[in-house]
Amino acid sequence: MRCQASGKHSLRLVTANSRPLLAFLGLLRFPKSEMVPAHFQSPVLSVAAVFKNYGARCVLDDVSFVVGAGERVALTGPSGSGKTTLLNCLGGVDRPNAGTISIRGAPVHALDSMALTRLRRMEIGTIFQFFHLLPTLTAAENIEIPLQLIAVPAAERAARVAAALQRVGLSSRATALPGQLSGGEQQRVAIARALVHRPGLVLADEPTGNLDSANGANILALLRELSDETGTALVLVTHSEEAAAICHRRIHLRDGRIVAC
Amino acid sequence: MNGSVISLLLQRFSLRHARLAPRASFLLVGILALGVAVFVAIRLANRAAVSSFTHFTDTLTGQSDLIVQAPSGTLPESVLGEIRAALGARPVHIVPVIEATAAQSQAPGEAAGFGRTTFTLLGVDLLTLANLASQSNLDRGYFDQQQDVGGRGARGNEAGAGDFWRAYAAGPQVWVSAAFAAARPETLDLVIDERVLTLRVAGLIPTAKDAPRVPATLLVLDLPHLQQLTGKTGRVDRVEFLVEPGPRAPERRTEVQTLLEELGRDRWLVTTPSERRESAEMMTRAFRLNLTILSLIALLVGLYLIFQALDGAVVRRRTEIAILRSLGVEERAIQLAWLAEAAVLGLCGGALGVGLGWIGAQGAVRAVGQTVNALYYATTVEAASLEPGELGLGLALGLGASLLAGWWPARLAARTPPAQVLPRGAPPAAGGRWQQSLACGAVAVVLGFVLAQLPPLLLGGGGRFALAGYAAAFFWIFGGGLMCGWLLPLIANTARSLGAVWVPARIALSHLRRPSGRHRLSVAALHCAVGMAAGMAILVASFELTVRGWIVRSLQADLYIASAGAQSASTDNFISAVAADRIAAHPAVAAAARFTAYPLSLDGIPTLFTGTDLALMHARSDLPWVTPPRDPALWDVSGNARLALVSEAFSERFGKKMGDILRVPTPAGVQVLTIAGIFADYGNERGSIMVDRAHLLAWLGDDRVTNVSLWLKPGVDADSIRSKLRVQFPGLAIFTNVKLRAEILRIFRQTFAITYALEVIAVLVAVVGLALTLTSVLLDRREELTTLRALGFARQELAGAAALEGGVVAVAAVAGGLVLSVALGWLLIYVINKQSFGWTLGFALPWAQLLALALAVVSTGVGVSYAVGWWGADLPADREQ
Repeated sequence: MRCQASGKHSLRLVTANSRPLLAFLGLLRFPKSEMVPAHFQSPVLSVAAVFKNYGARCVLDDVSFVVGAGERVALTGPSGSGKTTLLNCLGGVDRPNAGTISIRGAPVHALDSMALTRLRRMEIGTIFQFFHLLPTLTAAENIEIPLQLIAVPAAERAARVAAALQRVGLSSRATALPGQLSGGEQQRVAIARALVHRPGLVLADEPTGNLDSANGANILALLRELSDETGTALVLVTHSEEAAAICHRRIHLRDGRIVAC
Repeated sequence: MNGSVISLLLQRFSLRHARLAPRASFLLVGILALGVAVFVAIRLANRAAVSSFTHFTDTLTGQSDLIVQAPSGTLPESVLGEIRAALGARPVHIVPVIEATAAQSQAPGEAAGFGRTTFTLLGVDLLTLANLASQSNLDRGYFDQQQDVGGRGARGNEAGAGDFWRAYAAGPQVWVSAAFAAARPETLDLVIDERVLTLRVAGLIPTAKDAPRVPATLLVLDLPHLQQLTGKTGRVDRVEFLVEPGPRAPERRTEVQTLLEELGRDRWLVTTPSERRESAEMMTRAFRLNLTILSLIALLVGLYLIFQALDGAVVRRRTEIAILRSLGVEERAIQLAWLAEAAVLGLCGGALGVGLGWIGAQGAVRAVGQTVNALYYATTVEAASLEPGELGLGLALGLGASLLAGWWPARLAARTPPAQVLPRGAPPAAGGRWQQSLACGAVAVVLGFVLAQLPPLLLGGGGRFALAGYAAAFFWIFGGGLMCGWLLPLIANTARSLGAVWVPARIALSHLRRPSGRHRLSVAALHCAVGMAAGMAILVASFELTVRGWIVRSLQADLYIASAGAQSASTDNFISAVAADRIAAHPAVAAAARFTAYPLSLDGIPTLFTGTDLALMHARSDLPWVTPPRDPALWDVSGNARLALVSEAFSERFGKKMGDILRVPTPAGVQVLTIAGIFADYGNERGSIMVDRAHLLAWLGDDRVTNVSLWLKPGVDADSIRSKLRVQFPGLAIFTNVKLRAEILRIFRQTFAITYALEVIAVLVAVVGLALTLTSVLLDRREELTTLRALGFARQELAGAAALEGGVVAVAAVAGGLVLSVALGWLLIYVINKQSFGWTLGFALPWAQLLALALAVVSTGVGVSYAVGWWGADLPADREQ
């Protein structure tokens, strides 16, 4: 067992592995597998020596990788391998016990609640397996929310929402409530919502997991196109080979450790 | 169906959930307990107040078989001989009784006022009792005092009868109860009529082992002594009859009753102790019923909260239920397990509620006692006791309320589909489609209006209960609750533009544009509490406005004088004619009006027979007329012997109108009177007949007066005359005009104190309900909260959204509640009050109070919702666990 059972946010020197401390101090050089590929310069996301425990159970064990701007990375692995926990840590809804995570240089692991909220508003878009549109807001209103959170003026908001709807092919469904949309349509709205504020990083958790294969393929194509168009980095948690195939890289987790990259 | 399945579900699921969330479980039990406690407290306090009086009645007359008393006033002693002669040799004992009241004299420096302890003085012929005791081996305790008084040494066996005779010969003495003797009195200063008398305590009132405990405020005197002290020499208040026990006793009792009724036709009434007790109970029945109904409001609001909590639990445990269904658990088993959970909750809440209710009753009993004292009769109750029946009732109430509230959630739980077909997504809204039915609400409101037109239920003994009026209130509350749910989308749409500038508003208002059943229920509960509280405030304000007007019109004299012993509605203290004449003859007095009031039993219904100088009243005062008199003969003593005025309460209770004939029994025979006018009187709800005092004096043979009103000569200072008269007559309570008005308003406000307390509890329970509603709503929306956090919502923004949501719910409830309150105010004033008490009131809207209530409820709603939202913002979503 190499995983640390440390307290929240604390770091311990472990004789078997001193990488967390080194990473924290910025003294650790990333190994080759953890470096940004040459054609994706300027890293958007840096994960270094992240550990996460739930009690005695180690969920993430010394996870390190970097994602560059416009890069698509698939996080794969069997159930319980730590994919969703890692995604939650990347999005700041959960915190690692040790290690560092930075998005465009901002240390996610060390930010207070308010700063983390600001970072999420500005730099992160999230796509869920079950879409999670706000059920009482229309498609357009759902897409508008991230813009409103970063205080985009109303006229500009309207224009960007209209453009986003057009881009995902749902201009005619702008006033529909989520309950009136099909699964594929809901996921398109969710993608538009995740990208409308032009974040640096989109986190997608099984975005096709709740769709049939035809709709799934359409969504994946849309994600690839939008990522290419906007230069947004994408971290995609998936079991699906088709989904992993749209990514530039694949990081495979097993028992909380990266086993292939 | 296997009972063990239900037991398993209850133990492994329901109770385990309760253990896992102990705070929520305690809160629910606490809310139910509060509802039960309020009901039990009022019930115990009511019982205590009534039982105090009936206990007195039992103690005073419980041994008798029959009682003879004048319909109004006293009987001449000569009737004793007449009755003895008529009964012949029949084995019946005749016990003449004088009953009076007295108050403990005012302590030095104590302000004059009403509400001091009233003693009941019982005058019996101790010699007759001694004979009776020796003949029938009854307790001879008066003569052989076994106990000492206040530990001053035994007056017991060694002293025995010798002591008694010495005490008897020494003049007026009092025998006191054991409870009173504990205070170690040697003498007792009492105000009897206008005099302050110091009476020596002679001993203890003897009691047989199986007899009821002697009330602490009962004092016994020898009959002639009390006759002399109260100015009733040669007269008796009643005559009691004891038929010798034996196999023929029931026949003899019937025979004697028939004989007495024939003998005393129109001169006296023949009753039994049980009729006397019933009469007292009936007198306060409407009052107690009204209070009981008010106390049920908190339980009703609590019932709604239980419903909501159980319903929320169904939503939260939906997956668990679906899994159980997949494993083969039947719908019925799930429904019964859910009801069993409600039953456990109900029993716990009921048991705790009974305990809390008993504690609350100790406080409520004082308030109830004060009201009963002011409006009906003297009651001295200080503590309420808890009996097994009340315990059972509390448990049954908690259980019943909980099962009723749990029925719909249990049905909802049972209808949860198995896990294989359970759709993922938003949980269903609470309640059925009827909740959303505007038409259903409108029908209820119309039905309420129809019910408001129906007459009261007659309770017997002149008591009337506004059953249809209360039913109308229920339908208006119910209908209004359904209808005001529609205010939520209205407000949300009106405030829609707020969403464009403040993003939490967009989220909050979007939920309210399509409100869930839970939202609607929350609005309905809060609307009910606000409506009732504000409605009661309107009633009290209207009442106060009316009473103020009545006081100003009817109290126009400079000084008001009554016996300081007159401390409750039933006190029997007078001012002697000699004292009244001396007061009237004071050089500073321009005019003096004497007023006399006697209890009267008319057609078996208790009321008052009063007399005053009508000509003087006409010249000097101004009665607030409901139907003003038109016959000028009324104001001339030589022509008004057959004319009477009646109060509005009398007119309502007896169904008598202007010009109707009254047949009033008096010791001088039946007087046939024509109603010449109807006046408003908010001082008593039994009603009264008023005639010229000169005629009353002739019919009743009693020249004492109940109170005297004085108009002073111009330039005379009322306070200085008051001080002089106080020195001259220390046993009199003398009020200046200003002081009496203030005292009446103080008693008035005190009467409504308990009502306010009940309303405050209902509003508090409803606000807790709003918090519970939002908690359930946020628990249902865990995934949405996580999504909002992922989108970048800050915690305070989520709390702000919850605060706005709760705020709009509170605003809708307050808006609907205020409309309801005006309707309920109208109903309480013009229907329920009129039917219960027979009083016409004006209508007043206490704007400042209503505004304060609205602001308090809305700000509390916003604050509580913000706190819940703050907490909810940190809820872990299912998908993160």
